[in-house]
Amino acid sequence: MQKTFVVIPRNCTGCRTCELACSMIKGTEGVFARSRINIYKVGDERYMQMTCLQCVEAACVKVCPTEALVRNELTGAIEVDEERCVGCGLCEPACPFGHMHFELNEGVPVKCDLCGGDPTCVKFCPHGALEMK
Amino acid sequence: MYIYIDGKKISAKDGESILEVANRNEIYIPTLCHHEALDDVGACRVCMVEITHKDWGGWRNLVTACLYPVEEGLVISTSSEAVRRSRGTTLDLLMARCPTSDVIRWMAEENGEISVRYEQIDDGSKCIMCSLCVRACERMGCNAIGTVGRGHDKKIAPPFFENPENCIGCGACAAICPTGHIEVNDTRTTREIWDKKFNFVACEGCGEPVLTEEYRDYAIANRDLPADYYTTCSACKKKKLASHFDKVGS
Repeated sequence: MQKTFVVIPRNCTGCRTCELACSMIKGTEGVFARSRINIYKVGDERYMQMTCLQCVEAACVKVCPTEALVRNELTGAIEVDEERCVGCGLCEPACPFGHMHFELNEGVPVKCDLCGGDPTCVKFCPHGALEMK
Repeated sequence: MYIYIDGKKISAKDGESILEVANRNEIYIPTLCHHEALDDVGACRVCMVEITHKDWGGWRNLVTACLYPVEEGLVISTSSEAVRRSRGTTLDLLMARCPTSDVIRWMAEENGEISVRYEQIDDGSKCIMCSLCVRACERMGCNAIGTVGRGHDKKIAPPFFENPENCIGCGACAAICPTGHIEVNDTRTTREIWDKKFNFVACEGCGEPVLTEEYRDYAIANRDLPADYYTTCSACKKKKLASHFDKVGS
């Protein structure tokens, strides 16, 4: 059965291990800004993990002129088909939640693809604040 | 239907090109002007393959893999001596035109020896006239650039070499260019491409550039999304949503 990525903010301590794991595994050499999951401080000792919501009716999919954003039916994640992307970058401002990253010199956007159904951030979270269930 | 690529029997569908079948089966054919989402034009001539057929009485021919449609029993060679020679000449000519391009040099090295038969003229241009940028612009619905002139005077340029009226500054042409020829000069507030200046829409929260004003107007007019999607940068959107989630949760 398709699993869902679940965040449990009350368990999050803001250690940002998930960000580090994501930016390492996705080949951005540990640059936190290029991580596909981000931790935001929302109050005193309260943190919120923010990552792509894999919307059912996704704005990024809607604006893409080349159908380069496709849903992986196995994992439920919307994935970037780099071969089909022309690099117009419209998906980044189109995402109402800000989970799309596009930089012109990289040519294709980066977004959370749930690591093919087995997210690395979940494996690395030391406090059980991220789950796949 | 079945075709043979480098001796391997591979199933193919009617109407597919040789390159599509090869890509699907992870057989490498080098290309410069091919893009999955755009129509092929066969401009770069790097994807040359040698074809023959048992009914052709030994006749062989070199064709572009991106344009040639498959047919039953086609025998394709992706790296025969004739293919290597043809590809070598093509890459040699491309190197003569743009000696500073790394991707062409890399491809020539992959193909075998780099032969320097033609005078290399370094005029700072890396354009190989593959027209990927033109096709990407067309796909965006803008048609701001096109090919101008003929023969060795042919260039990619906006109409009349003036500021392209239809250009929205999306930068797809620069992102898709295989050799990195198209220049985009970005500052915090402006973008310059094809000698046209654009102003960025500044994020309502932090002032970071979001997208060009023309691109925003284009997106509002052509894509079915609310106009206020384009006023905030990704980081500010995330921050706002994080505090919203926090409020909802507590």
